Amino acid sequence: MAELVGVFAASHAPLVARDWEILPPRVKTDLRAAYGELGRRLAAARPDVLIEISPDHWVNFFLDNLPSLCIGVGEAHEGPPEPFLKSFPHRKLRGHAPLARHLLETALREDFEPSISHHLILDHGFCIPLQRMELDELPPIVPIIVNDLEPPMMSIPRCLAWGRLLAKAIAGFPRELRVAILATGGLSHSIGEPTMGAIDEPFDRRCIRLFADGAERPLVDFLEPALLETGNGGHELRNWVIAHGAAGGRGFELIAYRPVPEVYVGCAWASWEVGRAA
Amino acid sequence: MTDYWLSKMFFDLQTPAAAEVYRADRAKVLARYPLTPEVRAAVLADDVAYLSRLVNPYLLRYYFSAAGMSDAVFLQRIRAAGHGAGKASDG
Repeated sequence: MAELVGVFAASHAPLVARDWEILPPRVKTDLRAAYGELGRRLAAARPDVLIEISPDHWVNFFLDNLPSLCIGVGEAHEGPPEPFLKSFPHRKLRGHAPLARHLLETALREDFEPSISHHLILDHGFCIPLQRMELDELPPIVPIIVNDLEPPMMSIPRCLAWGRLLAKAIAGFPRELRVAILATGGLSHSIGEPTMGAIDEPFDRRCIRLFADGAERPLVDFLEPALLETGNGGHELRNWVIAHGAAGGRGFELIAYRPVPEVYVGCAWASWEVGRAA
Repeated sequence: MTDYWLSKMFFDLQTPAAAEVYRADRAKVLARYPLTPEVRAAVLADDVAYLSRLVNPYLLRYYFSAAGMSDAVFLQRIRAAGHGAGKASDG
């Protein structure tokens, strides 16, 4: 049977790629260290497949059809279209169709209704963490796109339920397979709003404390109203919440938190120790 | 309120080649979309505050970048638009 061997999360600010050459040295040092540690932990988990959870930044989907959650079941995915990611070394990324289809079928059986795509383009949300972690080899990726950009969006309890469902589906996959989860996005930031550039550090630190405490109810009670008040980029915390649900709400460890005004984002990196007992 | 066709134009202009055509001849590209006269005028005037009420904030940010507005100018204009502007808070 398949095994969940690691759960991780990281920010994905586009300016980390676009403005890399002009970022102050101390910022680059911090970012290198955090993504490097995340990459070290992910590699140590030796995943055969990585389920990556990220928003779509108006690349695959538009107002004509905007899924709340979409699972990419393709054998391969397209690399990032953003001009500032020309240096990303993969124009094609391997998928893992059998696991993706199993996630999809498990979801439908459990009364979840994801959208499905046989051909996804993985934008900076997926690819910046992959690039900056500097892994020797990318595992096949099962992309899960969550609508974090255009209201209305999934509730926080539903995100937790999705996380639990992913863990259950992985455990039920009838082949030996080491599976890791990487959620990307957040923490606080504001894009295209009057508050653009503002980082809500109290919000970020509260989120971190709540993930560390682990309990679901306080996380829900905080995030549901707070996400309506902080910058719109904070909605990407939904992906972290899915990761938290997959980890059973246990074992959160902050790797680093850096409010980085140069990239407009409260950046954070974390992992969950999935083997920890309740 | 979401303006579908304005959003569609901003979405389409994310392609670098389309953005290049737009920067060279705005009127030609604008003619392809059934925008209201008020919206078309706001686009031609680079009226960040007005347009921010009609599209997703991410699309707004991408559009003005594609149209050639610097980050500094965009930040100054969107901040001047003040609280109450911006569409995401609707949700």
